[in-house]
Amino acid sequence: MHVPTDRRARPSPGPAGRAVAVVAALAFAMVGCSSDDSEASSGSSANPTTTTGSSATGAVTVSAAASLTEAFTTIKDDFTKANPKASVTINFGSSGQLATQIRSGAPADVAAFADQAPMATVGDANLLAAPARVFARNQLTIVTKPGNPRGIKGLADLATAGTISLCAQTAPCGKFADQALQSAGLTIPTGSVTRGPDVKATLSAVTEGDADAAIVYVTDATVAGKAVGTVAIPEAHNVVASYPIAVIKASDNPKAAQAFEDWVLGPEGQAVLRAAGFMAP
Amino acid sequence: MTTPRRRPPLGVVVAAGVAVAFFALPLVGLVRRASWSTLADDLGSPDARSALGLSLVCSLSATALSVLFGMPLAWVLARVRFPGRAFVRGLVLLPLVLPPVVGGVALLSAFSRQGIVGGYLYDWFGIQLTFSTAGAVLAETFVALPFFVITVEAGLRSMDRRYEDVAATLGAARRVSFQRVTLPLVAPAVIAGAVLSWARALGEFGATITFAGNIVGKTQTLPLAVYLQLESNPDVAIALSLVLLVVSLTVIVSLRERWLGPS
Repeated sequence: MHVPTDRRARPSPGPAGRAVAVVAALAFAMVGCSSDDSEASSGSSANPTTTTGSSATGAVTVSAAASLTEAFTTIKDDFTKANPKASVTINFGSSGQLATQIRSGAPADVAAFADQAPMATVGDANLLAAPARVFARNQLTIVTKPGNPRGIKGLADLATAGTISLCAQTAPCGKFADQALQSAGLTIPTGSVTRGPDVKATLSAVTEGDADAAIVYVTDATVAGKAVGTVAIPEAHNVVASYPIAVIKASDNPKAAQAFEDWVLGPEGQAVLRAAGFMAP
Repeated sequence: MTTPRRRPPLGVVVAAGVAVAFFALPLVGLVRRASWSTLADDLGSPDARSALGLSLVCSLSATALSVLFGMPLAWVLARVRFPGRAFVRGLVLLPLVLPPVVGGVALLSAFSRQGIVGGYLYDWFGIQLTFSTAGAVLAETFVALPFFVITVEAGLRSMDRRYEDVAATLGAARRVSFQRVTLPLVAPAVIAGAVLSWARALGEFGATITFAGNIVGKTQTLPLAVYLQLESNPDVAIALSLVLLVVSLTVIVSLRERWLGPS
């Protein structure tokens, strides 16, 4: 009989108690989610051949280069339509960053990059299930404000055309842009170069911000459409980016991961990539 | 009869411990990852030095702007009754919860060359804020100003206004009473607000990279340098992170008594 009075006399246990209840509820909700997930994926791996062989099941996480955003979003929809029991999550970013994430143990089943170099760092760390295969190629182009108000005719004009948006050197598009500029013997003053973390950020500096020009992939310029003007980079200075794809060794769902890779390299995936302006591998 | 001190419930203690570990582990990890032997060289590298210097200039400028415009705003919000005051306060607080990248996009829509004001600034005065150091200061001020305003407004509201009344009855003009009575009384709040807004400005990332871009020596502040050097130069990135960590810790410790009371 002492205890209840004491308890009532205590100052405001209410809010704290409620907060604990909320946290507890959230924790239970999360536990619920994860157990559902594991059930689904373990179920799929337990009896993988109930359907006719090729159909993929379970969750697949894809780490894909930012330049693949539109094409892979379409491919994902097509793939899951053909494999209704599979679900695909795509993590878009700069290939350099994605490779770093995978090397640090980020969960990914498939990696699709804009350059062989970051894939090689993952391969060197012995994290690939099988050697990467090239599934597309791409090239660079100059994009300007619509109507090209600065009258940019080629790489040489970029040195004096105001603020130029390039990708960070760790992103493939930044490395390739530097190679293109170097082959043209051109140095843009550091104070005029803004570096985007990935190609989409680099592009948006022109479409949304006040950058006067950017060097991005041909496919990004295609996606931007009328929001930009395009000035081609001559073949002599242009760089061809080869896009490799591979299944990650640590994948929880290697079957579906392989099915996704095959889909990208197969006729359906290639048709989508071609429509987006990528060149054949 | 004295109430005996009761032991805290075990479950609560465990949950609290988990929360502390959740905060502490990443910091321990950061400290562990640092390569201490090359720390001086890493911080002395040209990119790191330019980011450090630029961050100092930008964050101090943003703090100065926050004080210059935040002080009058805090006073108006605390002392003047006007229709829509709640709305104005909400507007001021918005950057506290708005994702900074969205703040950057919003700044673009106002101050870029196609923006509401930016177009005129460029056409009439030739001023372009985007991709300039001034733009980085603007982005930092956008996120830092609310911290100053709420801290000082709270200080003004909680001070004993009778001192001001006495000053007025003794014939002090409003300005004199503000300088000699109000300001000294809210000085701790002003200092805390300035330190807070400075710390927030120093850590600003999203609005800066969106609005001012990422130009070495011009707009690449510490957090941008950390983000972009993490792959190419992880040691430099970690070294710069440590600088930000030490600064943040110093701010928290120096303001501890104000928020947490003496322990």
